[in-house]
Amino acid sequence: MKSQFSTTLTKLKPSLKILLKTLLDEYEYVSILAQEAKGKTYRVSKSGISIADNTLTAGKGAVIKVYDKKGYAEYSFNRLNDKFLLEIPKIIHEKLIPMAGFIPDSISESNYPKLEDEQIVFSKASEYTIDPETLGDDIIINKLSDIHNKGLAYSEKILDCPAIFQYMKTDKLFLSENKDMEQSLLWSAGIIQPIASSNGETHYYHKPVSASGGAEILDNLMQYVDSSCESVLALLQSTAITPGEYDVICMPDVTGMIAHEAFGHGVEMDMFVKKRALAEQYIGKYVASPLITMHDKASDSIEAGSYFFDDEGIISQDTVIIEKGILKRGISDMQTAMHLNTTPTGNGRRESYEQKAYTRMTNTYFEKGSDKLEDMIASISYGFLLENASCGMEDPKNWGIQCMVNMAREIKDGKLTGKVCSPVVLSGYVPDLLKSISMISDDFHLSGSGYCGKGYKEWVKVSDGGAAIKARVKLG
Amino acid sequence: MLNKILNALKENNIDLYLINEETQSTSEMFFIKKNLDMRRMKDVTKYEVTVYTDFTKDENKMRGFAICNITPDMTDEELSKKLSDTLHAASFACNPYFELPKPSSVKPNVDFPSSYSTEEGLKIMSEALFAEDTEKDCFINSAELFVKNFKYHIISSEGIDVSYSKQDIEGEFVTQCTIQEDVETYQDFYYDSLNPDALRQKVKRSIELTKARSKASRCNLNGNFKVILSGQYASDLLRFYVDRAAASMIYPKYSDFKLDKQVQSEQITGDSLNITLKADVPYSKEGIPMTDRTLLENGVLKCIHGASRFCYYLNTEPTGIYNNINVTPGIKSLKDMETGTYLHIVNFSDFQMDAMTGRFGGEFRLAFYSDGKNVIPITGGSISGSILELGGTIKLSSETQTLKGYKGPLAIEIQNVNIG
Repeated sequence: MKSQFSTTLTKLKPSLKILLKTLLDEYEYVSILAQEAKGKTYRVSKSGISIADNTLTAGKGAVIKVYDKKGYAEYSFNRLNDKFLLEIPKIIHEKLIPMAGFIPDSISESNYPKLEDEQIVFSKASEYTIDPETLGDDIIINKLSDIHNKGLAYSEKILDCPAIFQYMKTDKLFLSENKDMEQSLLWSAGIIQPIASSNGETHYYHKPVSASGGAEILDNLMQYVDSSCESVLALLQSTAITPGEYDVICMPDVTGMIAHEAFGHGVEMDMFVKKRALAEQYIGKYVASPLITMHDKASDSIEAGSYFFDDEGIISQDTVIIEKGILKRGISDMQTAMHLNTTPTGNGRRESYEQKAYTRMTNTYFEKGSDKLEDMIASISYGFLLENASCGMEDPKNWGIQCMVNMAREIKDGKLTGKVCSPVVLSGYVPDLLKSISMISDDFHLSGSGYCGKGYKEWVKVSDGGAAIKARVKLG
Repeated sequence: MLNKILNALKENNIDLYLINEETQSTSEMFFIKKNLDMRRMKDVTKYEVTVYTDFTKDENKMRGFAICNITPDMTDEELSKKLSDTLHAASFACNPYFELPKPSSVKPNVDFPSSYSTEEGLKIMSEALFAEDTEKDCFINSAELFVKNFKYHIISSEGIDVSYSKQDIEGEFVTQCTIQEDVETYQDFYYDSLNPDALRQKVKRSIELTKARSKASRCNLNGNFKVILSGQYASDLLRFYVDRAAASMIYPKYSDFKLDKQVQSEQITGDSLNITLKADVPYSKEGIPMTDRTLLENGVLKCIHGASRFCYYLNTEPTGIYNNINVTPGIKSLKDMETGTYLHIVNFSDFQMDAMTGRFGGEFRLAFYSDGKNVIPITGGSISGSILELGGTIKLSSETQTLKGYKGPLAIEIQNVNIG
């Protein structure tokens, strides 16, 4: 089934078009992005059962962008009635535009040309099998309770087994002089996170599932309860790793974190504008093993980070960032592309109508290869299999890596020994890591249960992953 | 809109509820080098309604709840359906009974600084932001400045009806240095009053650190060392005790903290910790008056803090959720800490303190390593440790600092931290 576009936004559209026309009398470029994003988070754990509307990225409101012949200014609001819409031209004229006068004498206003505004009329919707909005709160809670109870029953050492399901339906309307675009998107995500405790040691393991789709993913969660509980019990026996450089197999979630955090943020081209990314100097050069091809792909509804057009009215696409080891291009929003005289790639994203658009990733991954995972493990005389990526932080200026991994399984003479180290900090220099990749598995998995921030804010839905890789990295 | 919500609650026979109204107006500026790249304004009002319903299960008294978002222009029909659906959802949130907060005569002890206009905030703080940006080779690469005005109104079915206003200035900046290696430092800032001196000093310090990073060599240390964490990381580490003392962590047994129990360490060889929970808003989200409370006294837990539900389950007074702490400083100066062999870390890419496991760590971007004779800037190493094992070795500096949510020692010293 296809996601249905918001009736509120449909009703509002004629009024927004009148507002657009009024503003175009004063400003050379005007765009309006209106959104209605709603969804729920369900959580069953020993703390209890909670059901709540989502707040992050959610809400109903709009943002107007205007060009005043020098630069761009934006006004975000959520009073969507005709009376307030009539007040907006005055607010923009009397309050927003004059803000440029508050800057210190040492600061200048930027000087941008007018944005191009290609003629596009567009309406698309993502597909799903089960609508979480109509499935029923009771059914969702019952399924999560079954997962939670199964986890608790696995071992007396399992302290808790939170089971979480979340969905978000996001409808967006983009209007400019030449554009009239609508999209309706639905993503769903679930997480099992068993927590185990013994002799004062506490550990957790998380297993996410996600999709550009609906509540059908709930049925996938149950199959991961046993393996997740087994993993968290193994973590109870974990020791600290001896710091050093090792041959490792990164499972797809760790591969995804490397693709996203270590490399992806560095090819967000708003960083090129600020001269904050080393990647700008490496376009056309080898930055990775020739086995590596890396994409950022918002199109084709492949995972939770997908959309049909970005928050600046640019159609989404599949951007090949690294092709056979060579850095081909970065990703960009529209203003960045204008600054750099490049073509926007449809990566201008906002946390919601309340925030500014930045260059952001979508679904970021390494293409699969031809190796079997078991052959990859067998090829290592001493090293670790890394899984359960925790968090990472970008360093586009210096290509330093910081990725935290929850679980490192020891490999000796080509076999997993059962010994586990946790937690592990993966560090080093990004091109060194990417060039060391010597094998890539023939399977492929994306995961989009979380959000990505720019620094420590501006959260957007993304997914990442790809195949398992064999590499040489520094672990501590 | 509030009256519309109250009427709709009545029409749907919803007797137990909590309404949170938040109005936010912000002015925002985005800079690239010394250019204003974008300016923005925002005016939004949001409503969050929590609906409670009582029922029995297996002869036990239960209280379910669910939370919904209301937007300002919802029609009566949309509003009624939303609240009715939320009540229905609440009936599946099968939680043990708990009491909701009642109106209190306790006076909150929060004093907000005098107010300022948005225009004043932008002018004064943008001046401060760029005041130290005077060098050719070490400068502000980019910055974001947000001046925010908030109004909050909390109404509950128990008779709570309180409101307050709040202002803050927040943002981030990146300093870049091209003297030797081309490097940068990310910093964020937050002030609840016009504090141009603090921002100016922060930029100045960041420029100094970025200069040092440009001269730093790669870390090749391995083993256990005395580590000094300063700035934000002192706060991040000590916040472990606040998180672990939360009723929401103790109730499901994620934390074993108990009142009047020594929680820092059974063997304290460093400084005993004294931490106060500071109220930063007059009322919690549930309308509980917020007052300052002693959290740790010489490492002994004196307060479990949290919202009404988990506090009721633990049979302790609901306090509201705290974001701010004051930590009593130690007697050792930073200079005295910096003796012998040590690693003083001043910038991480992302420092992590896991309240669940007690483990901390991260990759550092700038640290000063001393072998007892020479001090050199290094970069690119990582540290890891467990505060459950090392908490007793913590020493607090006599110098203090004020950060978002923290007033306390500028630096902390921890023994035997693993570096790789």
